[in-house]
Amino acid sequence: MIRALREVEGGLRLLMSVWLRVPALRRPPVRESFLRQVYFTGVTASTGVVLRASGLGALIIAFTMQVLDADTSLAVKILLWVVLREVGPLAAAMVVILRTGTAVSAELAMMRITGQTDALRRMGIDPYDYLVVPRVMGVMIATAALTCYIQFLAVLGGMLLSPFVIQASFTELYTQFFSLVAPVDFAYSILKSLMFGFVVALTCCYHGLNPPAFTQNGVPQAVTRAVTQSAVAVLTINALFAYLVFGVLFFGLVKAVA
Amino acid sequence: MSAAALRYDLRREGRTPVVVEVPGGTTQRVRLPDNEARTRLVGAVLSTRCGEGEALELFGETVSGLKRAGRARLHDRIGVLTQAMGLISNLNAWENISLQAAYHGTHPAARIARTARDALASLGADPQAFLARLPDEMDAFERKLVAFVRLLAKEPALAVIDGLGEGLSREQSARAARFEAEYRARQPEGTLLFVDLAEEGFQ
Repeated sequence: MIRALREVEGGLRLLMSVWLRVPALRRPPVRESFLRQVYFTGVTASTGVVLRASGLGALIIAFTMQVLDADTSLAVKILLWVVLREVGPLAAAMVVILRTGTAVSAELAMMRITGQTDALRRMGIDPYDYLVVPRVMGVMIATAALTCYIQFLAVLGGMLLSPFVIQASFTELYTQFFSLVAPVDFAYSILKSLMFGFVVALTCCYHGLNPPAFTQNGVPQAVTRAVTQSAVAVLTINALFAYLVFGVLFFGLVKAVA
Repeated sequence: MSAAALRYDLRREGRTPVVVEVPGGTTQRVRLPDNEARTRLVGAVLSTRCGEGEALELFGETVSGLKRAGRARLHDRIGVLTQAMGLISNLNAWENISLQAAYHGTHPAARIARTARDALASLGADPQAFLARLPDEMDAFERKLVAFVRLLAKEPALAVIDGLGEGLSREQSARAARFEAEYRARQPEGTLLFVDLAEEGFQ
């Protein structure tokens, strides 16, 4: 309980501290580290999601039409709601947690345990400026970019592959999609993915810099904590967002059907 | 004799006091009686702070009571090569050498690159290949070389080298002995201090 409270307090302090330290990105080594993070999280992860994301869209359309006996309009609506608003940001966040979250927490924990963060301090380099700020900002931006990429691939894949499994043409699906999609859908998913990226990076940096033990065993423990807490944080934010935006903001408070 | 670049005094209960005085512009070797004295001397210079029973004077200024700005000003004139070396494992040799100067914007990258290339070449390493390597791919001497070139890039008026030959083979120690001439060639007016443990300290 005390540890949980301490972690929440530490996380909140890190959160405040990161925003105040954003100007550190002006320093060349910090900027370079930020660009590396964007490359590692965004660019190198993108190649692995091409097939999965393309197949996802087709699967959703085929499944909806088969199970719900829906027409193309409903199938495209579900593709839009599920992929654009929910699965896109969530899939990107999960890819980021599994690839980047583990790497960041392990790297920082190792640096802390082997005294490299102290070495940075001795050189007059603030570890939070040099290690945390570029990672948090880089992961945020890369998560948003990865979300857009997954959404694009899933929608395009859905429209290109669906004509092979259902009775609908590409033009029909394409026209339906663009008549239904609104800028708010993109804004919603981008905002959400920025928050996911921020929370994942912050959680992983916090656990990396505060390993539970200052021995080699501290590294896997820090990674485990970082990954599980990042996943919980992402799912919580997703649920909160869905409730606040679609429950309160757009439609008023959700009421149970009598 | 010029004024002292470093004056250090350590008093501990029941032990012989340690007094070190290094005149400016000279090269000195001090052999300290035990590891604690050595760690405390190097730590005090590195952090420009004094602990209990310590007194440190750098370039005629007493460090205790110095404000942050004064400490930073002194820090800019000092380079310390510790036994741990303090290399960052995910940065290659060039990034390790240039990190501090690039972060603080103190020296232009071109000047650091020239210093690094010249120093590495004169110490028997191929700069092109060497600068691209990560610390984990290097042996003890090579890691020490990176830390030393990083020290040279800072152009310090006072350089402290802790345990230069420790952890090195006889052949590597002979190569490391050339660090002194390399520093002197670049900083003719600079002060160089080698810190070692006295033989009896190993008992």
